[in-house]
Amino acid sequence: MKYHAKMIVLLFAALAVLLLGIGIGSVYVAPGDILAVIANHFFGTPLPEALPASYPAMVLNMRLPRVILAFLTGAALAMSGTVTQSILQNPLASPFGLGISSGAALGAAIVIISGLSAAGLGAFLLPGVSLGFALLTMFLVILISSRLDRGVSNITIILVGTVFSLFCNAIMNLMASSTPAYGERVQLWLLGSFSMKEWNAVCVLAIATVLGLIFFLFYARELDVMTFGEDSARAMGVDLLKIKRILLAAIAVLTGAAVAFVGVIGFVDLIAPHIVRRWFGAAHKKVLPASALFGGTFLVLCDLAARTLLPAREIPIGAITALLGAPFFLYIFFAGKKNR
Amino acid sequence: MMSITEMEIIMLQVEHLSCGYGGPLIIKDVSFQVKEGEKLCILGPNGCGKTTLLRALACLLPSDGRMELLGSSLRAIPSRQRAQKLALMSQFSPAAFDYTVYETVMLGRYAHQESGLLKGESKSDRRIVEESLRLTGTWDLRERLVTRLSGGQLQRVFLARTFAQEPQAILLDEPTNHLDLRYQVELIESLKTWAAQGGRCVVGVLHDMNLALSFADTMLLLNHGQVQSCSKLEDFDLSLLDKLYDMDVRGHMVASLQRWLSSGD
Repeated sequence: MKYHAKMIVLLFAALAVLLLGIGIGSVYVAPGDILAVIANHFFGTPLPEALPASYPAMVLNMRLPRVILAFLTGAALAMSGTVTQSILQNPLASPFGLGISSGAALGAAIVIISGLSAAGLGAFLLPGVSLGFALLTMFLVILISSRLDRGVSNITIILVGTVFSLFCNAIMNLMASSTPAYGERVQLWLLGSFSMKEWNAVCVLAIATVLGLIFFLFYARELDVMTFGEDSARAMGVDLLKIKRILLAAIAVLTGAAVAFVGVIGFVDLIAPHIVRRWFGAAHKKVLPASALFGGTFLVLCDLAARTLLPAREIPIGAITALLGAPFFLYIFFAGKKNR
Repeated sequence: MMSITEMEIIMLQVEHLSCGYGGPLIIKDVSFQVKEGEKLCILGPNGCGKTTLLRALACLLPSDGRMELLGSSLRAIPSRQRAQKLALMSQFSPAAFDYTVYETVMLGRYAHQESGLLKGESKSDRRIVEESLRLTGTWDLRERLVTRLSGGQLQRVFLARTFAQEPQAILLDEPTNHLDLRYQVELIESLKTWAAQGGRCVVGVLHDMNLALSFADTMLLLNHGQVQSCSKLEDFDLSLLDKLYDMDVRGHMVASLQRWLSSGD
């Protein structure tokens, strides 16, 4: 199948999953009704007569923001994962391993434990601090890596990132266990959730994700060259240090923004790039948009599972991504191996 | 004869080059020049600084001294412009991601392409990539994934990518390591053909002495980071290798030749 055909299939799959995600819940809303409600909101077209009066508000204010937030988070994480693996030339690398997610989580934990989040200081304090911590962590990782190693090689970054990741986690666990009253909230936040999110969060993440995609696509060719090794990339004319720094900063912004709003959701950033590369090859101008679509779709499905698998209870999304992701990843990986 | 020699253009001029990794100098006051069409091989024992010298020439390491390609300082020009003139072909390393052979060779055009969101590959990019693929005998592999090629095939693809960069000078860092003999010879022949086409030169580190002798016009012997001798192949005194490698190189080669000769009977 050609690239465009694959992209169209993926696009339709994404739309179908989005409609499914919006439709399924305490009450089922048919895809036609969902589209009618959206068309009514934006274009003023009439609603179906039989549609219960509570549905439009439920779709527009509860289900739609949640599903779109899940989609954007998946897209942002999958793209960040793709770029991280390419920059570091390491198929096992992920933004999580660079300490970005742990840094963001530590920021969030500080806000929760200090009680500031409850003090009504605005819905953006926690995400703001969390994003700030993500950027700070990335900055420190790059700074220390450059001090240790003038060439800021990939292995140094991965090592320093891992150390930071573990260190931030340790501080956070220490804080959570010493303040039991807030500890549980921190733990819950860590597992991620899309519930109770406002349109504001959706808008911020939408802007970050779209800008992120455009930004990464701008560097698609540099990313291609960088996957073949640092020396060869430099000898082929890539201004490696500069491009590595700005791409890592962009990853920190994108991952940080996602983690800041919904918590730490693992696995998507690691597996989405692998699965997408199997279908689309490795060229970044194809892999980046496809990762965004696939990551988004995957996370909407995971969220759907999270809120429907257990009656009247929500499973943390982070648990679902790993639960669904691990076997799916193994299947894709070994199915691909057989064809080799 | 003299007049022809005098007319030869000096392409690469290296004077008083020194460099290291922050500690003691690895390369000390190295000077040499490479003329148009010339193929210079650097020989020396392990740890003598061959690869460091090559990395300094590729501007992958900071260094002191003069390094000029056709009169312009290699260090002073931006990396992208430098890559239009100077390419590096490294030791074999496996590919990590699933690019096709064609995509991989097209990446060699990076330095010649404008950066940007919608800047595609031009007609001339595609023509040059095709020429490079054909020159290295990899045109038929163009749809294959680089992760599924043998070492010999992949190294030919990387050579095609180096050609696609359209450099004036190619630096070789033991490109034939880990390759079967047939691929070693093929790679060297492709490079000879490339270098013979006017306005080009090659500086290489080849581990295999016989391969180096069949490839180079000029031998540069490096020991402890210093040039021990630099001479044309026809003036090259093979006995210098005995001292350089601290062994009876000639005796070893003759003994192995005897084995080959006796197996022919």
